[in-house]
Amino acid sequence: MPDIHLRLDGVTKTFGGVNAVDDISFEIPRGAFATLLGPSGCGKTTTLRMIAGFYDPDKGDIVLSGKRINELPAHRRGTAMVFQDYALFPHMTVRDNVGYGLRVASVAKEERERRVNETLEFVGLGKLGDRWPNQLSGGQQQRVAVGRALVLRPEILLLDEPLSNLDAKLRVQLRYELRALQQQLKMTFVYVTHDQDEALSLSDWIAVMNAGKVEQHGTPWEIYYHPRTAFLADFVGAVNLVPGTVREIREGRAVVSFGERSISVPIPAGTTLSAGAAVKLCVRPEALGLAPRGAAADGAALPGTVVRKAFLGDLMRYWITVDGREWIVDQPDPGAANDFDGQVTVAVKPERIHVIADTSS
Amino acid sequence: MRSLQREPGVLLALLAVIALVAVFIVYPQLRVIATPGAGYVDFITGGTWVRSTWQSIQVMVLSTTTAVLLGFVFAYGMVYTNMPWKRFFRVIGILPLLSPPFVVAAAYVILFGPRGLISYGIFGQTLNIFGLGGIWGVQTIAFFPFAYQLIADVLTRSDARLEQAARNLGAGPWQVFRSVTLPLSRPGLGAAILTTAIYVLEDFGNPALIGGTYTVLPTQAYGLISGFGDLPGATAVSTLLLGLALVLYVAKIRLDGGRSFVTVSGRASSMPRPPVPVALTWTCFIACLMLSVVIITVYGSLLVSALTLNFPTVLTPTMQHFEYITTGTNGTALQNTLVFGLAAATFSAGFALLAGWLVERGAWRGRRVLDFLLIMPAAIPGLFFGIGYATAFNEPWLDWLDRGVLIIISMIFWNIPVGYQAAVAGLRQIDRTMDEAATSLGASSLRGFRDVIVPMLGGSLRVGFVTTFVRAVTTLSVVIFLFTPSSTVATIRIFQLVNDLNFGRATAFTVADIGLAIMALSIMAVLARGRIALGAARA
Repeated sequence: MPDIHLRLDGVTKTFGGVNAVDDISFEIPRGAFATLLGPSGCGKTTTLRMIAGFYDPDKGDIVLSGKRINELPAHRRGTAMVFQDYALFPHMTVRDNVGYGLRVASVAKEERERRVNETLEFVGLGKLGDRWPNQLSGGQQQRVAVGRALVLRPEILLLDEPLSNLDAKLRVQLRYELRALQQQLKMTFVYVTHDQDEALSLSDWIAVMNAGKVEQHGTPWEIYYHPRTAFLADFVGAVNLVPGTVREIREGRAVVSFGERSISVPIPAGTTLSAGAAVKLCVRPEALGLAPRGAAADGAALPGTVVRKAFLGDLMRYWITVDGREWIVDQPDPGAANDFDGQVTVAVKPERIHVIADTSS
Repeated sequence: MRSLQREPGVLLALLAVIALVAVFIVYPQLRVIATPGAGYVDFITGGTWVRSTWQSIQVMVLSTTTAVLLGFVFAYGMVYTNMPWKRFFRVIGILPLLSPPFVVAAAYVILFGPRGLISYGIFGQTLNIFGLGGIWGVQTIAFFPFAYQLIADVLTRSDARLEQAARNLGAGPWQVFRSVTLPLSRPGLGAAILTTAIYVLEDFGNPALIGGTYTVLPTQAYGLISGFGDLPGATAVSTLLLGLALVLYVAKIRLDGGRSFVTVSGRASSMPRPPVPVALTWTCFIACLMLSVVIITVYGSLLVSALTLNFPTVLTPTMQHFEYITTGTNGTALQNTLVFGLAAATFSAGFALLAGWLVERGAWRGRRVLDFLLIMPAAIPGLFFGIGYATAFNEPWLDWLDRGVLIIISMIFWNIPVGYQAAVAGLRQIDRTMDEAATSLGASSLRGFRDVIVPMLGGSLRVGFVTTFVRAVTTLSVVIFLFTPSSTVATIRIFQLVNDLNFGRATAFTVADIGLAIMALSIMAVLARGRIALGAARA
């Protein structure tokens, strides 16, 4: 039984008749890097703000370390937050910003100074303590925001898209720093982002949200390779979603027809399929192979025609029509591979196909 | 609501604000409206109100029209052209706002009266200057700077990028103005016109000094009390005046959401506007120059009169008027002006900031009502407000209450809308995450307000403080029913001295009063480290 640090139970929040957060429940183990991932307006930030105490849930319970905190005012929750725009106090130096929470908590001056210095070192701002926030770069401001929250040794750290205001390169660098920080402190992080790369690379646990609901939660691996809905498959990474129909169930596998073709694919754990059911075949572009037309293919061979392609540096992305439907195929390391044009064969390994029950029709 | 229950400090602050608003804004007004009681019947059938109401409306329409036209020319020149001497014009534009509006009437008498500098001195005429024409002219000069400030504010906010875009698409200057600027700023301009109309409608000092037999509602109400002791009649007239002002005010709110007010603040720089024709620039320049000459003549004559024995007939320089106003009860009046103004400005700005924060950041039911009540004094004629305090707090059991304190309280709450709107505007510039950051670091809401929001709202506080101070030291109508000999103020003394035709002393008082306002503005400018330079300030 893992030690559950934060539990949401049937939490609902309505704004003007619309359920921004609609009856969500999940559990986050202690020490986990937990991420709420979803498109804008999906309710992820609202959820985070309910945990912080800035919004009151209309229904449901928020339980922190076994204690229901719904009625606890925000400033007594011990849930320090890092804001998207950092919300650094512009009239305080870096040092005063970081020391603010300690001052509020009436920590003695010597102890306060020691901890502020320690934290500034820890987040790599040792020499910038006397600067003002407007004298710092975006990345430095972000570190102040993190330091200001960490210095309190909060029970749980909430982060609301903390990297989204930074440029791409810095974003990736700080991503790994945050992860290292979290593992060093063994602190529970609840992280909100709309960036799937960020979610996949940082998290121990991801909850993907859509329209106020948690569509699925689990490890990044589960989310990426075994999405339960077409929305999930499409939202997290590029994907080919091919509609099909289950013809029969044979030897624990499903025979699925799509167009004129059919293929026998494994049935994912937890999914029950019966003959006649509408499904979507979900294949990641990088799981597909390309070969010249007529060459031997690894797995099922689908004849197709290259429509267009894009050189992305680390891979070449092809758009290929097969039976009038467009497929996306990624070829790694374009410098070492063939450059395809015209008539090709798309190679599909049945084991790499993930079947999703189609609830949309 | 639940968050309020969890933070008793905030709840307590809110209840205190509501109680103060109820006692000092709502209650006095209800008392005035209720005072005539059955007297309303006599009042309506008596019919004396018909003439003064008609004359109030007549003079309001005339003065507002001319004041707005002049104000518009001034504002257009300042915002759209690159005419020379803008800094000079800006100072000229705020000078009248730092003085009691009715001193223009005093200057008018000095210049055009029976022994006036221009009328008698130059043309040898003895004119009858009292009545409609005089009020019209004086109010035009007294209130065009207000119209200028309001209109300039609206024009400044119109987006220069849109005008650049229109020019880029081939529209000429006139077309841009007609098809882009005007349609976009029409609500703001409408609100500016209505606000000016309210200032004119409420004006008591000018019609009282030069109206003669031409009565308007404020002078009728004053006359009924001071001449006949007819409180029911005066309150009925005041209620009628309030009704008219409220009609204008509601119309204004519908146009701009209740967010325009003349305040003193730094002017935001904006991107350059497309150039206007040279001829237009020079036309504006000449118009502004002529208006400046008028303003300088008005205030110059006040200054010269204060420094000479009996201007304009005896021009011997003297300091005796200033000696007079700094000694005895007059010295007290001057001291009262400063003390009352400082106290009112401090408490008004502070209270308005707290109230603005509670309303703007709160999520409790009924905050729209409190918002309305906090803005409403802007619509209440000063005379009505003063009568309200005189009626509501003139009870035997309140005899222990010092009259000076009552005057301060009346100034605090009459001016609440200034500081409140500045605070709300300032708070809207500060993202809510600032409050939340403090909260998530363990500070209660009130602690966060004190540590984070108040320091960040320094600008709004200064605007509220300076504007309230200036309005407090220049108001006549609010205090005219409240003062006692020991709690008299400069504006009252000026009014009394002009009525006694003692112009030397009256103008000396005026100069001292304006000096106080300029001093307050300058000190604030220094405190703000030049962020509000006097030359760049709007009042």
